[in-house]
Formats: sequence, structure tokens, C-alpha cells
Amino acid sequence: MKKGRFLSFLIILSSIFCLSSSGGEPQVLAIRAGKIWTLTDGVITNGVVIVNNGKIKTVGENIDVPEGAKVLDMSDKNVMPGLIDAHCHIGLSLDILAEMDETVAAVAADMQILDAFNPQADDVRKALSSGVTTVMLAPGYRNPVGGQPAVVKLYTSKADDWVLKRTAGVEFSLMNQALMFDREPTSRTGLVALIKEELDQAKADKDGGFNPPREVLKRVVDANLPAYIWAHTVDEIASAMAIVDEYKLNAVLVAAGQGDEITDMIAKRNLPVIYPPLLLSSRDKDLKRAGRIANSGVKLAFASLGPKTELYDLRTSAILAAKYGLDKETALKSLTINAAEILGVADRLGSISEGKDADLVILNGDPLQLTSSVEVVIINGNIVYQRQGE
Amino acid sequence: MPPIENGTILIKDGKITALGQNIAVGADARLIDASGKFVMPGMIDAQSRLFVIDSELNESRSIAPELNILDGLDPFVKEAPEVAAQGVTAIYISPGSHSLIGGSGAVLKLDGSMDVGKMLLKGDIAIKAAIGVSSNNESSSLGRLANYSSIREALLETKIYMHNKEKHEREQAEYNKKKAEYDKKKKARPTEKAEKPKRPARFRPNPAREVLAKVLSKEIPLQIEAHRATDILNALRLADEFGFTLILDKCTEGYLVAEEIARRKATVILGPVSASFVDMPRLEYRNHDIRNAAILSEKGIKLALGVSGRDGASSKFVALTAAMAVASGMDRDLALRAVTLTPAEILGVADRIGSLKVGKDADIVILSGHPLDSLSRVEMVLIEGKTVFERKDQQ
Repeated sequence: MKKGRFLSFLIILSSIFCLSSSGGEPQVLAIRAGKIWTLTDGVITNGVVIVNNGKIKTVGENIDVPEGAKVLDMSDKNVMPGLIDAHCHIGLSLDILAEMDETVAAVAADMQILDAFNPQADDVRKALSSGVTTVMLAPGYRNPVGGQPAVVKLYTSKADDWVLKRTAGVEFSLMNQALMFDREPTSRTGLVALIKEELDQAKADKDGGFNPPREVLKRVVDANLPAYIWAHTVDEIASAMAIVDEYKLNAVLVAAGQGDEITDMIAKRNLPVIYPPLLLSSRDKDLKRAGRIANSGVKLAFASLGPKTELYDLRTSAILAAKYGLDKETALKSLTINAAEILGVADRLGSISEGKDADLVILNGDPLQLTSSVEVVIINGNIVYQRQGE
Repeated sequence: MPPIENGTILIKDGKITALGQNIAVGADARLIDASGKFVMPGMIDAQSRLFVIDSELNESRSIAPELNILDGLDPFVKEAPEVAAQGVTAIYISPGSHSLIGGSGAVLKLDGSMDVGKMLLKGDIAIKAAIGVSSNNESSSLGRLANYSSIREALLETKIYMHNKEKHEREQAEYNKKKAEYDKKKKARPTEKAEKPKRPARFRPNPAREVLAKVLSKEIPLQIEAHRATDILNALRLADEFGFTLILDKCTEGYLVAEEIARRKATVILGPVSASFVDMPRLEYRNHDIRNAAILSEKGIKLALGVSGRDGASSKFVALTAAMAVASGMDRDLALRAVTLTPAEILGVADRIGSLKVGKDADIVILSGHPLDSLSRVEMVLIEGKTVFERKDQQ
């Protein structure tokens, strides 16, 4: 095995020499950095990250740069893993309501959000420029049983593996916005009843006649597929937890803004929380909520919910949360490794460690400072964004 | 100016009386020990919505310069103490953008008094106007031209008004003189026949025109909210034609016409720096660029940063606004100045606030770290020497 790896390394090396002579891109990249925020292994000062074939080969302080490697000198910069936006609606449409939700059918479990995604959209480029390399594309909160969110890298020009998960789960909504006056359910009680009915039917369904939404929901009740449940207020979160308890779902709470008020109940169930953007118009009370949730041991990731809110907000959310009490390390993890774990992609993303994808963000300062800006974004070892003037 | 290390500020009767490194402190002085901390002048949000309920920001009439924002404020809002607690000691509030000319704005201090009269630092700071701002997210080129020409018409009518008023005053003075002579003559020789002078036609004063007359005589600046480049150019054209003091407000696409703004020496209150503060997508912000502040300030334009938030609570993010401007390339010192001294200068209150200087008001913020550090905490806020905020929780 080891020998095989060494052999392939040699092959790569030789191919680099061939490529460099023919003007192609070398496949070994060495990034010298002032500070490397690995997120799982502390902060390395004056270190090097070696990227081989789109993956992180080594990271550390005293590392020899292989001959022929392309060297990126970032000795006065900060390098961190690419940010993960745990819920957003970018690349879908300008009129987001038109493409995010089914408005006629209440149950749309077979709808795949990826089918509406345009990777060339302007807001995708914007998200990249703010350091976001991976997003969970999600339907909205207007369907009691919504569609399937996807986990994708914001990089579609070269890599063919930019889709990490086409079906990353099924979305449910217990928010008031799921109620409409012209289709059922029209009440909160009706909303809960409808979701339960759908889950019951999926559970009871044995023969497997042709019913695509039910096929998907079956995987949810078997806890093979996570349920992403939108619930914002305390009572909505309580309803979500009741459903999770009853059906023993593998669930994630989405937009649990008021979760801090029942944080012990969320922690007891080990439910992760995907937190909505901290708005720059919020009262102090609201700005402290994310910190209260995460500091109590609940795994939390931030979501931009863009493009309705500005996409620069993902890092801003973490900074604001840290300003209002969230532990600094947890704030950074919420943007990276914790988000990767919640979305089930931590084997490939979320930290700068050996074997993971080389998705990196290079900033001109501390990532938790608003004065710092993103200068370079790398996905799979390729520079996909570079700030103008750099 | 470089910061003073290990310095002392002496405050008496709400004013700064001495500051520097070797200042003798009298035994009877109350001592605030902020050694190891950062001390800066109170920050100013030059685009605040605190104390204003959104629906009350706007008058339905399109030309209403005689209105005064002070008459419509609600000083009891709960957000005010949170704003002061972030080191923001003064705010500038002006009318909204529904009216083309919408009345005068005022600078208030956040002293926690809930009394507009007490908080007021200075009224009639500027008259607010707006070109090309749409309330319904729809806007046409024709609508923009109509905005421009309506404002121009109001200013032209004011010119005529001023001319007529001067003429009337001349005639009145002449009449007064003749009448006095006539009265004198009549008194001396009551029987002698004399021609009674004719009283000039009555002049009706017009409050709206009176206010705009002050704009034309450069007593009060005209603050024009303009987002798109064409609207900014139209605002500059108006200033060229009428010679008033122009404050460009918002100036979203200013970076596209930076040379033009610099050439006119117009001042700018820019905001929001980050589109995070606005409901997206809005027409005015379509070409919003986070580098706007950096580009304009590089051209030497006198520029203040406003928060321009969605509501009153946003005003607490003044320091973060400056930090965001730095992230997009603005010079650190200029960014700090853009939330302290520069807005004070643009708003005409620099004799009182905006910097730590002998003779100015003791509006002072004490922080745990550098003001541009996003994680610095405000420890204490003084307004005119009185403590309006002191951090209690040690989290």
C-alpha cells in the first residue's frame, strides 16, 4: 500500500515536470502561511501546507517543499479551511420564492433542490469571494415536508465531484410560514398532524408501490437519511423535538433562533443546530442566543440563508456571536469542522488535516476580525478566487 | 494623530480641560483608572434611525423642507441604551427619502435622558433631499429626471422668492422712511396738505421657501440622498448650479464617479458599508460594492461612515462598520476618523464633539482593546463627563 502511494507520488512528480514544460498546472502546491488554523489540531505559526492532487498531503511547521511544487507564499497571511454555509438558497433564482418551495403541494419529499441550481449565478461567485467553499443548498420553509437539500462545492468548472451529496436529507418545516390559506395545512395543529401522517404512512408502507416521496420518507423513518427541521420559536422547536422523539429521527434543527431558551432539551437529544444569520439590526438579547446554544454543548453551524441576506454574513455571524459571548474557537469550528460534521462531510472537509480536500481560505488577518478580508480561495487545490489587486 | 500612551484626561464641568502624558491631577478629582485600556472620543452614527419609527420618517408631500425631525421623535425607545453601550455617544437623524425635500435633521447625544431637548446637540444640521430613491423598488429614468427637476424647480422658486422678498424689504424700508418723514411733517404742521406715502403690497412669508433660502445662502447644507451614479451626478449638477453646500448621503455607486465628487469637494456620508445592513435585493443597492468607502477616501474625499441600518438598534454597530471598511481597503486611521471627527466636521458640530481635545465635550469611550478590534469590549462610556454606561458582566 505504502509502496503504491510512493509510486503514484513519483508518477505525479514526473507528470509535473512534463506539465510544467508544457505550461500546464503542477499538481503539487506548497502554501507557506503565517498562521494555519487547522481547526482540529490547533494553530500553526509559520507553517506549510502541501497539497497533492487536490488533497492535503501534509501540514506542519518544518516541512520540506517537494521539488517542482508550485509555492504560494502567504507568510504574512492566515490560512483556514474553506467555510461551510450550512443552509442557503444561492444559485436558485432571483425571485427565490419561485424556485425554493412547492406552493401547491404540501409534501414534496422527492423534489431535489439541485435540479434548480445554477452554478454560474452571481451570488455563487459572491459566496466564494467571502470564503465559502461548500454549501448546503436547501429548499425553503414553506413546505411542511419539503424537498431534498444537497451539499455542493462552489466549484463546477473543473472538478467533476463538486456534488458531495445530491440527497443530503429531507427538509421539514414547523414554521408558521409553512401554513397557507389556500392549501392544507392551514393551522399549527394541522401542520404537525400532516407531518406525522406522512411519516406514519412511510413507516407502514411495505409493498413499495410507485410513490417517490414515500420512498424517500421511508429512508427518513429508518433514520438512514437526516431530517432537517425548520423551527424558529420555542414552541416550534418543541413540536420538532416531539416528532423526533416519537419517530426516532436522525434530525438537525434549522433556524432555531430561540433555541437558547430550551438549550438543555436540545442538548439532551444531541440535536445539532443550524443557526440563522445574526443580523446587524438585532437587539443584544438576540445576539447572545447563538453563544448560549453553542456554549451549552449543542453542536452549531452557521447558515447565511442567502441570498435573502448578504453572503458576507457567514463569517460576520460568527464574529458577532463571538462578540456577544460565543467561545472563539467554537465560533471558528461552527464555520468549518462542526458544520462539516453536521452535514456528514467531515471525512473530506472542515479542517486542514492530512487526506482532506484542499479547500482553503487565505485571509490577510485573524478570521474572527471584521477588518480581515478574504484574499484567496482554493478548492481541490485550485485557486478559484483571488481578490482584485492581489 | 498618533495615540497618546499612558496619558491622562482631565474633565471639568463636562469639558476636557487638559490631556496628555504629564497632567497633574488634583486631590479632589474623581479618578477613573483606565490604564491598560484604550480611550477614544465617543463615536457618531451619521445615518441613524434611532428614536424614529419608520412609518413616521416620511411626509407624503414631495417638497416639505420646513419640517423638523425633532418634532417626530420617540425618545423612549428601548434600543437607545444598547447603542450607547457600544460607545456611540451621538447620532445624526434626518428625515426619510420619500419626500424629494424632506426637512431638517438634528444631532442628538445618547445621554439616556429620554428628553429630546436635553439630548439635542444641534438642530437644523442640513435639509434632507433625495434623488432617485424608490419606495417600491421600481424606478424609471423619467422618474429620476422628474426628481431632479422638481428639486431644481423648488430651488429656482426660492431664488425668485428671495428676490421678491428683498425687493419687498427695500420697498418697505423706503416706505418706512417716507412715512416717518410724512408723520413728522404732519405733526409739525398738521394743517398743511402732504401726499401720504403708499404702503407696498403685503408680502406673505413662506416657511418652506424661508428654509430653502438658508440652503441657497449656505447657512444650512443640502444633504442629498443618492445611490446610483446618475443620481449622484444630478446632485452634483444641482450644487454646481445653485452653489449650496452639498452633503452626499448614502452614495452607493460613488466609486463609479469618485473623480467628479472629489473635484466638487462635496462631503459624503456613506452607508451602508456592507450590504448586510439592507434588505436585498433592492434597486438602489444593485451595484453596491464593499470597496466604495476605500475608493472614495483614497481620492481625498471627506467621508463619514454611517451605519444606515434597518432600524434603530443598528446604530450600535458603528465600530464594526469602520472595521468592515478597513477590510475592504480603507486606511485604518481614516476609518476611525470617519466615525468620529469627520462626521462631526461634516455635520458642523466639531467644535463640541468628534475628538479628544481641550475645550471639547468630555464624550469618551473606554475599551478593552483597539476600537477596530471586532472583539474589543466597551468598558465605560462618558457623556459630558457623566457615566452613561459601565460594563458589569465579566463574561
